[in-house]
Amino acid sequence: MTHQRILLICLIFTCCLSCQDEADKRIAPKAKKIASVKPLIQHKNTEKEKLSDYGFFKLPLANLEPTDQVVLYDLNTPLFSDYAFKKRFVYLPDSTKISYKNKGVMDFENGSVLIKNFYYPKDFRKPEQEKRIIETRLLIKENDAWKPLNYIWNEEQTEAILNYVGKQELVHWIDNEGTEKSVSYAVPNLNQCKNCHAKGKNITPIGPTAAQWNKTYSLALSDKNQLDYFYEKGILEELVEPALRPKLPVWNDALLPVDHRAKAYLDANCAHCHNLEGSAKNSGLYLSYNQTDSRKRGIYKPPIAAGKGSGDFIYDIVPGHPEESILIYRMKSNDPSIRMPEIGRSVAHTEGLNLLERYIKELAQNK
Amino acid sequence: MKKIILILGGALLLLVLYKTVGSSLPEYNPERSYVDLETEILEAFILAKDSTTIELSEGHFLFSQSLSMDGKKHITIKGKGMDKTVLSFKGQTKGAEGILITNCNYFTIEDLTIEDAAGDNLKISESKNVTIRNVRTAWTGTISTQNGAYGIYPVLTKNLLIEGCEAIGASDAGIYVGQSKNVVVRNNRAFYNVAGIESENSTGVEIYENDIYENTSGLLIFNLPKLTLYGKNVTAYNNRIYNNNIENFGVKGSIISGVPKGTGVIIMATQNVDFYNNTVEDHVTNNLSVVSYLVFAAEEEAEAIINQSIQDRGIRAVESDYESDTAYNPYPGNVSIHSNVFKNKFWFPTLSNEYGWLMLFKNKATIPDIVYDGILPDGASLQDDEHKICIGDNGTFNFVFMDAAHDFDAFSNDVSPYTCTIAL
Repeated sequence: MTHQRILLICLIFTCCLSCQDEADKRIAPKAKKIASVKPLIQHKNTEKEKLSDYGFFKLPLANLEPTDQVVLYDLNTPLFSDYAFKKRFVYLPDSTKISYKNKGVMDFENGSVLIKNFYYPKDFRKPEQEKRIIETRLLIKENDAWKPLNYIWNEEQTEAILNYVGKQELVHWIDNEGTEKSVSYAVPNLNQCKNCHAKGKNITPIGPTAAQWNKTYSLALSDKNQLDYFYEKGILEELVEPALRPKLPVWNDALLPVDHRAKAYLDANCAHCHNLEGSAKNSGLYLSYNQTDSRKRGIYKPPIAAGKGSGDFIYDIVPGHPEESILIYRMKSNDPSIRMPEIGRSVAHTEGLNLLERYIKELAQNK
Repeated sequence: MKKIILILGGALLLLVLYKTVGSSLPEYNPERSYVDLETEILEAFILAKDSTTIELSEGHFLFSQSLSMDGKKHITIKGKGMDKTVLSFKGQTKGAEGILITNCNYFTIEDLTIEDAAGDNLKISESKNVTIRNVRTAWTGTISTQNGAYGIYPVLTKNLLIEGCEAIGASDAGIYVGQSKNVVVRNNRAFYNVAGIESENSTGVEIYENDIYENTSGLLIFNLPKLTLYGKNVTAYNNRIYNNNIENFGVKGSIISGVPKGTGVIIMATQNVDFYNNTVEDHVTNNLSVVSYLVFAAEEEAEAIINQSIQDRGIRAVESDYESDTAYNPYPGNVSIHSNVFKNKFWFPTLSNEYGWLMLFKNKATIPDIVYDGILPDGASLQDDEHKICIGDNGTFNFVFMDAAHDFDAFSNDVSPYTCTIAL
């Protein structure tokens, strides 16, 4: 009896020892909010405090109805941002034009402003009805350099206020299947802008390229191409003939080949960092649409600096095996030290992942 | 019946003993009472103009995101001392680093503690004239693979001083200097990390007066392929490197996870290394080794073979990979080891790795003080001009020439071929 008791105690003791190991280290403790006695730095603001100060939109502001020098534009394949909808505009100063570039970002004159509004329709099946605008990001061209600024919308949706430090905001919506969804949306802080918008040491826009703009214009009455529309409107110059223009495939156009769509998705969601001049230049993984080197695309490529981001997998992409591919592992993860993209999303993009998993599966069949 | 129970009980007790004494990882549990001043401190980091000192008061400040700073000059971030000002990133939801500094010139951070970042605690990249002074970086709780990779992590920097710092619990290296030029690392303490202090692909590095103990491996002087800068000209002296024998808790697949526990100093594939006046003691694998990159490449190769399913579908390209980097020299050369003190309280090599087993059979179960793998490129010979290893007066020590390239055929304890001097 006593022996059995000892045995039991030993058993329990061993269990305790082996089970205590991993209390989750990633849970944030409580912290009491305090204020600083004196300001940490001297700062005098020289930027416009309110979005309405720019006069980009007619009142009421929340309708996002552009004023004269502000033009709506759209992209073939956008970046995924926690299912947020985006409305993009460009403001062009008096009588300036955009110079067409076949490769890379279009050329804008000083004073131009790219305006990107992030919002959630209450019901995704009725996107034009009630919506909640979260933030408006600006890229302002000044002295031949781009400057980011960010404005956060108030609860009443009457104004957006300049913000440097970012914000966490809980948003709800009903998705296309009628299911209620919510996400803790992260408005980035000013330094985080550069994370995606870096080109060497400078900041650059990402979206306004010929390949992204080469699509049917949403506001045109007929099936007019966006580039042609801008050209005819007199705001775009040096446009080349249609056959010479590059075009990024639409990632969710089911009529297009899967690998084209997947490469377009990777271009829009990864290549702004994963290129030779971007934040991920040291990764060796380069995902621009035109990248043809399969190793640089991640196929059988071991990671260079992934750390625990590798998830104990060996290659970025293992053809035929999305479940063993680091790329999929990181795009699924919501852990900030593992997830890709590093910022700008807190939930995984199921539809994007489905596409990439299909692409990786089909890579094996093509061999 | 009673007998069986007794035996079982005894076995369990042994298991318990093993778990408590044998492999339990250490823990670090400072007392914390967090406050939230996130918005103000973040704003200061973002909006600080050049030539600003950000002074942080006493307190345990908790952050949900990284503090980053980019492209500024003459900035100082200063706390009230590493025991008083604590910046904690425990449970952060945005960004991987604790503090991230990029493209800065004349940057100083001092007198504070940085804790529990999801990734690296303090990363400084592409910056010049950087001073990191009296900064502690730590991961709290029992050390684990969940901990971030690097404690203090300057990379691609020029003119760098790290002094008076303390690094605890990194799942890669506590203090790691990567691809940097003109570096001084002095008077620091590193413990409970996989690697205590690591100089990787850096040049013009002086490492002195550091205490490095209770890591998996103490001091690493590494040079890896396919990076922007190659490592050479590293001097290490007056360091105390002892008892680095904890289990490797590095992330599988990382180079560091292949480093055996109980290695005091590893000089890998680096040219012009002067290692003198150090004390290196009490390591279960070896006190110091001078090795080529092939030792690591071979290990990765072996791992790939174990994973046969992967092997079938593609070739693990480690070897061809580094060989394609024609500017990379995977062999150590011009390494001088003199005037050090080597000791060992352990009398039997660890059997947790192949080096231990090798010493058991080949080295009369003696743990070596200095090991040289002896792997050379084709056409080279031992001690030719490019591959000179000079071992001077280091008191009494056990030397091993492994001859790793030839199945240990010429395994030898004879140090006389290596008694030479090099001017460094």
